[in-house]
Amino acid sequence: MSTIRVRSPASYWLAVPAAAWMLGVVVVPIVLLAWVSLWGGRAFSAASALTFDNYSRFFANPTYVKLALSTLMHTATLMAVTGVLGYCIAYFLVMKVKSPGWRTALFLAFIIPFWTSTLIRAIAWVPFLGVNGVINQALMGLGATQSPIEAFLYSRTGITMAQVSLYTMMAAGPVVYMLNAVAPQWREAAMTLKAPPFVVFWRVVFPLTLPGVVIGQVLVFLNVMSDFATVATIGGNKHALLSNLVLLFYEGSQIRAASVVAVLLMICMLVGVVIALRVVDIRRLGVER
Amino acid sequence: MDSLARDPVERVATPIDNAMAKRQLDLELRNIRKRFGDFIAVDGVSLEVSKGQFVCLLGPSGCGKTTTLRCIAGLEDPDDGDILIGGKEATKDPPWQRDIAMMFQDFALFPHMTVARQVGFGLEMLKKPKAEIVERVKQVLSSFEIAALADRKPASLSGGQRQRVALARAMITEPRILLLDEPIGALDYSLRETVMLELKLLQQRTGISFIWVTHDQNEAFSLGDLVVVMNHARIEQQGPPEEILQRPATAFVAGFVQGNNLFRGHVKEVLAGALSVETAVGVFVVPRPLAGPIPMVGSPVSFSVRAELITDALADRHVNRLSAICTAVEYFGAVRRHVFERADGELLKVDQFGAHAARIAPRQRVVLGWAGEASVLHGAGGR
Repeated sequence: MSTIRVRSPASYWLAVPAAAWMLGVVVVPIVLLAWVSLWGGRAFSAASALTFDNYSRFFANPTYVKLALSTLMHTATLMAVTGVLGYCIAYFLVMKVKSPGWRTALFLAFIIPFWTSTLIRAIAWVPFLGVNGVINQALMGLGATQSPIEAFLYSRTGITMAQVSLYTMMAAGPVVYMLNAVAPQWREAAMTLKAPPFVVFWRVVFPLTLPGVVIGQVLVFLNVMSDFATVATIGGNKHALLSNLVLLFYEGSQIRAASVVAVLLMICMLVGVVIALRVVDIRRLGVER
Repeated sequence: MDSLARDPVERVATPIDNAMAKRQLDLELRNIRKRFGDFIAVDGVSLEVSKGQFVCLLGPSGCGKTTTLRCIAGLEDPDDGDILIGGKEATKDPPWQRDIAMMFQDFALFPHMTVARQVGFGLEMLKKPKAEIVERVKQVLSSFEIAALADRKPASLSGGQRQRVALARAMITEPRILLLDEPIGALDYSLRETVMLELKLLQQRTGISFIWVTHDQNEAFSLGDLVVVMNHARIEQQGPPEEILQRPATAFVAGFVQGNNLFRGHVKEVLAGALSVETAVGVFVVPRPLAGPIPMVGSPVSFSVRAELITDALADRHVNRLSAICTAVEYFGAVRRHVFERADGELLKVDQFGAHAARIAPRQRVVLGWAGEASVLHGAGGR
């Protein structure tokens, strides 16, 4: 039997297929994007001079800057909502549901919707949020409101509601994993050291699950930043985020402008991930004992 | 009937009058019961721990000793019974309001806290000023000889170091009672004896009551002022180590404690001051019980004889005689243990102390004997 040692020639050869694939579908397109975003002039040609004109044009337009800022605000809101909600769901599943059968059933109920595509789940919200949708019917049935509320569909509220439902499990999943690794005797030890329940949570449970929280936040951040489908379906034509702008420019054959937005989006995401890595080393998942 | 009156005196370790004793109790358990579904974990456990006493809960796994400890800590809610800590009713108090500290079996150190943070946690919870905590942690770390580890996290500590950190963390708040769940079970065998001695000295110095759960009788008998033997959720016997070693109260205790030979039979005759008991391997003389009624003729009884009280050098006072075949001889330096096979197939152990020459060889048939007073009759029912 042979084993492959680290840094032996064989281990490099084994990495070649994946490396080639990544090079072809990730690295090359990104370099192309960055390159196209720097093309000057008006002609769509590889011979264009390289300038930052496209970027200055983007930042000179207050509408675009406002759009970028509102995208960041929207993402921050979603991270906060899904973070709190996801942690509560994870805590409930792991700590409060005692029977293993119930836990599995509830967990499945949470993840089965994820077997359908994001687009379909986004579209499925339309009959819920519409003027004659399920929510309005229910509210009117209960007598909570006389006329249907139009603010749900084609509004920022609607987008937020749909995205919260889409991404909460992304925030909850890693926390479930980390909570499972919190041994009961750590909480018990804290209790016998005179820590009341909330202090036990804040000083022992939460710090131990922090890597899960951060990973969940990174997942939500990346997904919301790049989600154009939900915004397009629920927001109609009235609302857009940065990712919709890419599509808009692309459809308008403004490839250089589309590249600029795409590069800016990527930079935002990169910064986000770097900040997350600063907070906690997510590469070392799991609790050290 | 005078024997009945002696019973409570036998059980209280220090002969002070009862009212005094009550005021001095660090812990009192009254008839604690706890069940998990159909499984009865603790069944009517009552226990009194005087001030600064070292108590060992001893028993096989699943006997309810850990559950009893967790009830004292407040980590389990007893279904029935009362828990008094320092004379105050504490049955319904949550763990963080009890005057106890606990050391867990695998130490339960917080993985994300440095040793210094960890040890100071209890003081932080008591809302002590920061400067005082820092000062006190420094003191405690150096007195436990772990000052060099202050900035390390548990993952990088050895078993012995973790044990010290866990102990320092539990002791720093100076609780009334320290609960220890198999505290040295996770340590290397070579380390245990040293740690045991250290803990005993620490307990004597601080005057904190220790309640130590273990399945290892060497730990229990060498450490405990009071040893409580448990089996099947109940207390079989409690008393000082000497009493449990010399006078096992039940057949279970006699069988569980090393060095006892157990005999079962029924009462053949009631003699003056003694009984004659008929067993499968012969008729033996057994002294009457110290307490309780004398068993009637024909009733089933059990008794035990310590291995060192049986001899092959027979004299007139060795009225109980038994013939058996030696199957093995083990030599431990201070003691030579002979294992015999009785006529009923049970084993019989005979210990010979001191560096005498070997007298009995394997496969040899030997007549063994012991004095009538060497037999210890077990409690009613012969459990």
